[in-house]
Amino acid sequence: MNGNGKGKASRPRLSVVGGGAWGVALSTAAASAGTEVLLYSRRELELRSGMVRTDDLAMIADHARTILLAVPTTHVRELARELGDHLDGHHVLVHGIRGLVPRPSSDPSFDGEELATISAVLREETPARRFGALGGPVLTEELAAGAPSVMAVASHYPEVIEEIRNTLGGANLRIYPSDDLIGLEWASALVSILAIAMGFARGAGVGAGLVAGFATRGVHECARVGVAAGAVERTFLGLAGFGDLLAAMSQLNRPEVRLGHALASGESMESALAKIGQRIEAVELAPRVAAFAARHKVVAPILSTVAHGIVAGHPVDDLVNALMTQPISGNA
Amino acid sequence: MLRLVERPPIFHFNEQRADLVRAVVDRVVAEARDPIFLLNDAAYHEIRRLELAGKPDEVTRWRKLARMLGGLDKERATEILREKATWYCEDVNGNFDRRVYAFASRVLPAGMSVFLRPNVVTERGPLEILRGDAMADRIVTSGAIAHIRKLTEVGTVVYVPTHLSNLDSPVFAYALQAAGLPPVTYGAGKNLFTNPVLSFFMRNLGAYRIDRRLRFELYKHVLKAYSCILIERGFHSLFFPGGTRSRSGGVERKLKLGLAGTGLEAFIRTSQAKPRKVFFVPATINYMLTLEAETLIDDWLSEQGKARYIIEDDESTRLDRMTAIARKLAQMEESCAVRFGQPLDPFGNEVDDRGVSHDARGREVDPSTYVERDGKPVLDHVRDGQYTRELGEEVMKHYLKDTIAMPTHVVATAAFALLRKRMPSADLFSLVRRREEVVVPWQDFVDEIDRTQRKLVDLENRESIVLSSAVRGATPTELLADAERALNGYHSHAILRTRETGVALLDPKVLLYYQNRLAAHGVAWHGGIAR
Repeated sequence: MNGNGKGKASRPRLSVVGGGAWGVALSTAAASAGTEVLLYSRRELELRSGMVRTDDLAMIADHARTILLAVPTTHVRELARELGDHLDGHHVLVHGIRGLVPRPSSDPSFDGEELATISAVLREETPARRFGALGGPVLTEELAAGAPSVMAVASHYPEVIEEIRNTLGGANLRIYPSDDLIGLEWASALVSILAIAMGFARGAGVGAGLVAGFATRGVHECARVGVAAGAVERTFLGLAGFGDLLAAMSQLNRPEVRLGHALASGESMESALAKIGQRIEAVELAPRVAAFAARHKVVAPILSTVAHGIVAGHPVDDLVNALMTQPISGNA
Repeated sequence: MLRLVERPPIFHFNEQRADLVRAVVDRVVAEARDPIFLLNDAAYHEIRRLELAGKPDEVTRWRKLARMLGGLDKERATEILREKATWYCEDVNGNFDRRVYAFASRVLPAGMSVFLRPNVVTERGPLEILRGDAMADRIVTSGAIAHIRKLTEVGTVVYVPTHLSNLDSPVFAYALQAAGLPPVTYGAGKNLFTNPVLSFFMRNLGAYRIDRRLRFELYKHVLKAYSCILIERGFHSLFFPGGTRSRSGGVERKLKLGLAGTGLEAFIRTSQAKPRKVFFVPATINYMLTLEAETLIDDWLSEQGKARYIIEDDESTRLDRMTAIARKLAQMEESCAVRFGQPLDPFGNEVDDRGVSHDARGREVDPSTYVERDGKPVLDHVRDGQYTRELGEEVMKHYLKDTIAMPTHVVATAAFALLRKRMPSADLFSLVRRREEVVVPWQDFVDEIDRTQRKLVDLENRESIVLSSAVRGATPTELLADAERALNGYHSHAILRTRETGVALLDPKVLLYYQNRLAAHGVAWHGGIAR
């Protein structure tokens, strides 16, 4: 008997791909909710009961209909291609990856690079059609510790949302639904860029009022960029946008926040990244998003400041001054 | 010319006519959750419509029914629902006459001119028509024809072409025949059946009637069940998923699929019993000149500008225009081109010529796995609606790749680019209001055509568009002459004219219409058009 939808399972089943802290935290939450979890990881892990590790993607595909992906953006295409060999149309793929993937444009009117969502990459690399994404202010450590948390799941298919709520949701994890998959994916990626700006503002000693001002305007900017990509504006004002940013602002050890803080203190990018000890995808994503905004004629001064000012190591006062002298457009 | 596969399913259509109605009505009745609601809804809409149409007797009958609905038990309500569904289904039901098909096949391309020049029949009689006409030879077919022909033998093919003109159905029907593909059944607006010639051929060549005035649920259920059962029974079908003709002249950028969505339902229903594959074939119908260009662009501009733009009514009579366009198109090489795209399964996967689906990485995939629950195929309206929307997105990508650029599109694109250079701050409405004002130096115009043509060649090399032979092989000067010859003389007035002083852009509105065909490709200006 298996849980892939072809037989009856006594307990819900979930496969998780990604043995990093985030993948383990998601697996732990699912196991706590009574789900039988099979976790794909190439390295040995210490796991609580209800979770089993494998390094075989065929077993991942066979264990459950729903597969949760929690891998770095840079690995997702290769991994999806490998996983795709074991999938068919009945599988449901949900990811918790905060990022966008550059690829050559498929739009005949634009001969350049475009940004694809993770679900678009999954569509290109696997035979699956039903996708979902996780987002929102849930923190890895809190989720792993079983602390009460809130997250969002988005999909165009209500059954995907149901499946995630059944396998992952529990007494300590409330999962809010959205049908704006593109919006949630873009919001999650763009908030990680704003998180650098928030860390930078704190490191630069910017007052709390101005930080809040930049945060609010930053979310509005992200919403405008997201709308140009096909998202719904209100998604950015909810859990996956504002909610996630509020969590980032209070989380001083979040890598993006630490990076911004270090850069504001005059540290070089290389040295800051070395201290943090991991790759931060938002650094490479920021200039791509700024180029996307420019191409779509979206005014995005804060995202551009991260892309071309903060990351490039420009002086703090110049950057704050540049933002403070931007022409005012739109409503408060 | 004609290489039809053996015994296309539609040849057996008439044997199934009565049974088809029974099957449709059985399904509509069996799946009606609330027969009294359906009848009430129908009564409300029909009374309103018939009152306006001045049909008091029918209004009285519906009123009587509406009054008694409250006191009916479910059994009697179901009985009445069955009667009404039968009546509407009989009205929709099509017909296929093999003799008419054989006649149409034999006399084609003359038969084609019947569609294009209905006045000829009344004025000169059928013998005149049989002499033939060069028009139909001007319709060129290309694309995945051999591939599709094989698929017609292993499943039901649902064609979903672009829609520009009322000529599209007969042109597409002809294109199928010219390509050696079996005839299709398709829904045509009841208004098109008022033309006696068109009606005769449509009625006998598999068209069923859709009355767009009937907007109540019962009628929608009947139509949906009818089109679904046709596909289930293997009748290859044609739908225009854009719904209406493209007003702007641009390639459709939003598709609802509508009745075409019943292709997925038919696939699931047959998977539950006797599996039958369903394939969607995107196609583009491309014209050097569009019959209704002026009316359509007027519609589009008035919609875009609301009160800012007022339609100038300068239309000639329809028959005159149809004759004129037939004559004009007959003078031109490749004046109409139908391109058949890559066949897809209902989930947007490409299908090989054995009917096997492949994902984007080329892996074989069983389409029934997308709709199974606990190992069995099931209908799920919400899920299936989303699958259909995603299929629509795939179809639109194919529309762009399979658009055929014609000389009129290229020259109009160059003309509009020059017009915008001349008036850089003008908005759409200021640009199209100009008449007889802008004359562009001849060399500038030819250079701009050259630039446009180069961009198109680049796009074609990236398989993002197809160039008609008249565009691919021509010099910019030849393209200008070709387009000028086409555009002037058919429309109600000259559109652009080469003079001693340069090229005069006489009707920016019509130029806008033709350049819009290349807007979604990023070649022409996309002001106002969704990309």
